[in-house]
Amino acid sequence: MFANYLIGLREGLEASLMVVILSAYLVRSGRRALLSRVWVGVAGAVVVSLALGALLTWGPRRLTFHSQEAIGGILSIAAVAFVTWMVFWMASHARGLSAELRGRLDVAAEAGGLGLVIVAFLAVGREGLETALFLWAATQAAAGSAGSTVAPLIGALLGILTSVAMGFAFYKGFLRINLSKFFTWTGVILIIVAGGVLAYGVHDLQEAGILPGLNNLAFDVSAAIPPSSWYGTLLKGVFNFSPATTWLEAIIWTLYVVPTLILFVRHIHRPASASAGVARVPSPATA
Amino acid sequence: MKTPLFALACSAFALTLSACGLTETTTPVSSGGNGEISVSSTSDACTLSATEASSGTLTFRVKNEGTEATEFYLYASDGLRTVGEVENIGPGLTRDLVVQVIAGDYVTACKPGMVGQGIRNTFTVTEPVSP
Repeated sequence: MFANYLIGLREGLEASLMVVILSAYLVRSGRRALLSRVWVGVAGAVVVSLALGALLTWGPRRLTFHSQEAIGGILSIAAVAFVTWMVFWMASHARGLSAELRGRLDVAAEAGGLGLVIVAFLAVGREGLETALFLWAATQAAAGSAGSTVAPLIGALLGILTSVAMGFAFYKGFLRINLSKFFTWTGVILIIVAGGVLAYGVHDLQEAGILPGLNNLAFDVSAAIPPSSWYGTLLKGVFNFSPATTWLEAIIWTLYVVPTLILFVRHIHRPASASAGVARVPSPATA
Repeated sequence: MKTPLFALACSAFALTLSACGLTETTTPVSSGGNGEISVSSTSDACTLSATEASSGTLTFRVKNEGTEATEFYLYASDGLRTVGEVENIGPGLTRDLVVQVIAGDYVTACKPGMVGQGIRNTFTVTEPVSP
């Protein structure tokens, strides 16, 4: 039951973290009204994943290995592209908020709002199918006629519930960060999390044989950080840290995280009025 | 309004999946009739119901009878190139790996604890016998 619990926890964290940070970002920049779009994206991803997973579990057809890896990989990389765009979009609009005309802001919020549905859908949906297939397998084990056992299903569900509770705690924690530091900190964390998702997507494509170098490991610390341990689970769930990382994953992670962080920090710390603009964001923007 | 829309989107997606050849039916395509192989993974053993099959679509039905989460791999004969893999098989779960294979030698591996080289065995895929 504990092993299934950890799988549920890991998959749940992988899905929830980006959503949690984006939501805190929206609330802090006075766009609480747009939160509903995040929920639409999340709900859409959950429903599509569960339905598709059920179809592929009980229906006559199964997803081939290559297709599943390719879907996971491509959606992960797409999620990173959207999240990166979103971080910069929100950072620039947080800065210029006080100077901008209300009408222009609303137009931008509309455009970003559609993007919000997509980014939330991708953040949850990228590994949603794998999670759904795992959950339905646990359901099958519980419903099976011979030697049925509910322990795996209970473990998996408790794991997912824990990840939701942790996501909520992260959300509350992020909202407590001092407003002048908030956008910098959450932006930095989001970029590091996104880097992990990108590396994960690369690994999926390596497994599918679309990208090379699956067996060229940059490092392997599986002995020190076993993937089946609770700390291995947390590192994987939060940062997508893989104890056995390939060279291609390590290189792409670095090529993404380092320049993006530099650009972002420069962007948010532009001289003079920039930081003051962030601090003056009106919190209850009732638009 | 929402339900028919969703049903439409879902069936459209399911159709796309099969039309693009992303899915395979579980009924064996090969005439050999051994399209489905059951695998039992424990902490120290990886037992397959058959070590030979004829080419086409194979389904490995992997049951985790150990206490740790496990993974199942099908490698090419070099033991490096991954032909197929199924992960997140928690204790007590059964998950399927569906792969298209051509005739040749392969290596199977169960990885209890999700680390290392795994418990390996050789696996042979033969040309279907023509009558």
